[in-house]
Amino acid sequence: MASFHLIVNKKERTILAEPDTPLLWVLRDILGLTGTKYSCGKGLCGACTVIVNGTSVRSCTLTVDAAAESDILTIEGLSENNDHPLQKAWKEADVPQCGYCQPGFIMSAFDLLSKNPNPTEEEINSALLGNLCRCGTYVRIRKAIHIAASSLNHG
Amino acid sequence: MKNTLGRRNFIKLTASASGALVVGLHFQSCAPQKEPAENFSFVPLIEIDTEGWVTLIAKNPEIGQGIKTALPLILAEELGADWEKVKVVQGDYNKAYEEQWAGGSYAVILNWDLMRTAGAKVRHALLEVAAQKLGVPTMELMTRNGMVVHEETERKIPFGELVAEASQIPLPEEVEFKPIETYGLIGKSHPQVDVEEIINGSARYSIDVHLPNMVYATVVKNPVHEGRVAHFDATETRSVHGVIDVIALDNGEYGGRLIGPNSPNFVNGVAVLANSTWAAFKGAEKLQVVWDNATSRKESTAGLFERFHAQLHETTMERQDGNVVQAKKRATSNVEYVYEVPFLAHVTMEPMNCTVDFRADMCEVWAPTQNPEALEQGLVKLFGLEPEQIKIHLPRIGGGFGRRYYVDYAMDAAILSKKMGRPVKLTWTREEDIKHDWYRPASVHKLAASLDDQGKITGWRHVLANASRMTSLGREGRPAGTEIDEYEFPAGFVPHLQLEYGHVLSDVPLGQWRAVGHSATAFAALSFLDELANINQKDPIDYFLEFIGPPRKVPVVGDYAYDAGRLRAVVEKVRENSGWDTLLPKGQGRGFAASKDSGSFVAEVATVQMEENNQVRILRVDAVVDCGIVVNPSGASAQVEGGILEGLCAALYGEITIEDGATVQSNFHDYRWIRLHEAPEIHVEFIKNDLPPRGLGEPPLPPAAPALANAIYAASGVRIRKLPISTQVF
Repeated sequence: MASFHLIVNKKERTILAEPDTPLLWVLRDILGLTGTKYSCGKGLCGACTVIVNGTSVRSCTLTVDAAAESDILTIEGLSENNDHPLQKAWKEADVPQCGYCQPGFIMSAFDLLSKNPNPTEEEINSALLGNLCRCGTYVRIRKAIHIAASSLNHG
Repeated sequence: MKNTLGRRNFIKLTASASGALVVGLHFQSCAPQKEPAENFSFVPLIEIDTEGWVTLIAKNPEIGQGIKTALPLILAEELGADWEKVKVVQGDYNKAYEEQWAGGSYAVILNWDLMRTAGAKVRHALLEVAAQKLGVPTMELMTRNGMVVHEETERKIPFGELVAEASQIPLPEEVEFKPIETYGLIGKSHPQVDVEEIINGSARYSIDVHLPNMVYATVVKNPVHEGRVAHFDATETRSVHGVIDVIALDNGEYGGRLIGPNSPNFVNGVAVLANSTWAAFKGAEKLQVVWDNATSRKESTAGLFERFHAQLHETTMERQDGNVVQAKKRATSNVEYVYEVPFLAHVTMEPMNCTVDFRADMCEVWAPTQNPEALEQGLVKLFGLEPEQIKIHLPRIGGGFGRRYYVDYAMDAAILSKKMGRPVKLTWTREEDIKHDWYRPASVHKLAASLDDQGKITGWRHVLANASRMTSLGREGRPAGTEIDEYEFPAGFVPHLQLEYGHVLSDVPLGQWRAVGHSATAFAALSFLDELANINQKDPIDYFLEFIGPPRKVPVVGDYAYDAGRLRAVVEKVRENSGWDTLLPKGQGRGFAASKDSGSFVAEVATVQMEENNQVRILRVDAVVDCGIVVNPSGASAQVEGGILEGLCAALYGEITIEDGATVQSNFHDYRWIRLHEAPEIHVEFIKNDLPPRGLGEPPLPPAAPALANAIYAASGVRIRKLPISTQVF
């Protein structure tokens, strides 16, 4: 066991964990931030996507050792009142079905829009092809990202 | 319209200490003359407090199908509630709720009357009290937006001011339902009730449950579907920091692999218990297990398909109309093709998991289950518990698709909690989830048609051979019953028709899936119809409509008739919406398919483009649906979009293969799922009518695969007779 210092959703956190523990399980089992989901454990589905130092990563394949001292944003830290443009767009497009994959999609979309505020359909498709939705919300996800981009650019 | 609720439970009103009105269901277990036992059998359904806040209990498991929104909406509509002042709370499992499961697209169908009756009874009580207060007859009053309204005098009383008195009066035995044309909530789109929690990560799924003193567990199951643990070495596992214990799971100690007519027990394996999920996963990877697979038939997919093909010639008759042999002799031409569909997994995004707190007097369970009743029965069977000792919570579920109809993973968790004497959260890895699924049965279909000189179908023969999900694991029952039945389309539409079934016994675990049987039979039958249209050089939609004939009720079996008019209407509309009769650029093509499932009619047109490297790109899918009244259009459309994408995805990529009695696939790299860039535009339209709502979870799926295969043929001339498509076109 070793001690690690992380900044999670703007809060300083010091935790004890085995160095090879994936960030996913630190977030879920130690910090109780269960909005970040386990689904494949191999970086294949994107359900565990979080933002580390400004870039989206699969938290199931990033060890806490490698994430130490990083600035981490999870779905819980996106806004205080569910009013981030992505969250508002997700509501407007009524995106979720089972909802399990949606935090991962929203965090991938967050990464995309932070680098490309006005993405084309193709750019959305290629930026989010690492995220899997089993229920079939893809059509609405594309729509929501366009809504969010438009509100970020005009709002 | 009068309520038609005549079941074992009845709706009863109770006043609470706070002055709120509480209405719920009483469950009469078996003896109608006896008063039901207190507490155990009463479950709340509606609570209205003195502030006018309405709390509605969502009774069925929410797997993403939107039922937690749809059923309360029906109740709120009948009550006349203000949806902005409605809170929806997920109910625990209780027999009094009845039909508390998610499967077969049945939830709205089965609860339509119950929800309306409950809402109407409470509305009636509120109206009576308001009538006294206002000094007007009850019949002059109505409820709207959480108030009782007297339109003539424009007087209004909010529900909150009526509940204290309303809770003191008996509910009427019979109530009138609201006229459908007065609906204000039903038919308008409402975001699902948990959307705020989903988008900020606070929605709690089973996998998110945390209990004090909880142990985290995972399992390593025998990869071979039938087999046992011979012995294992856990030395390395126990050296992993955080590992608490290692326990073998032997279903032989718990009634074997099958514990009820339709409830399979867990697969044998070894569980690792730890102080974190990661420690359990890491410990599991280090386990050295020697499996005893002496009893396994060491089946393979190739071997099973050989047996399916052979079994096409040795069948049972499931339906026989006229004489197909005579029809064949008299025909101008006869056409015959064979179609194949593979085993399919469910891959719910939330893997199998369950949290159990097994105490001396009570077994408390948090389970992502579509079938809480089977879970209760399993616990009764395995541990000899009384139903009163079992409490099952139903958190939000990360996808179901039929997988969670079976409760094997919950049995694992219950055994571990009992053995540990502590709460246990069991999480299966994705690998275990895929390898120990209950697969959609693979099947082989021989379709044969006899045609007259006009190309009209005079004879139809559909022979299906497979391992039946009915007899999977040695379950008893009529094997054909779950695979092809006498209702199968186009029964009733062809004078000479024969449906046959060839049964193969196998060890592969088989079970429910989204439109499980129909997803296979519709692919075969609707691809075949397209082939017949092309052979006759006719437009596939023209040919289909000629085949269906004019609007009428086509008798199929007993009282059941197929409404050809409703089917025609969705087909004609999808023809228009998809631009079916317009020209496409070279390399593109449209395919059509339509069917009925769970009482709903769906027609789909897929438009595809063949790319230079022989890849298929699905450009667009149009769907027209007649499911009767559409309760929540946004949620309903989501079901259609989801069903279509699942159908397309399975058609393109879905395939579970078996080698030496074990599943080959293990994660999303080798069980490929459709991704964002592959998802086409989807246009959905619902036919508007006032018919009772029918199922929607499954009906949009079956036409997707044949529409896609037919589109590929139109675009390229390549006929797909075997799924998945990626094994042939790509």
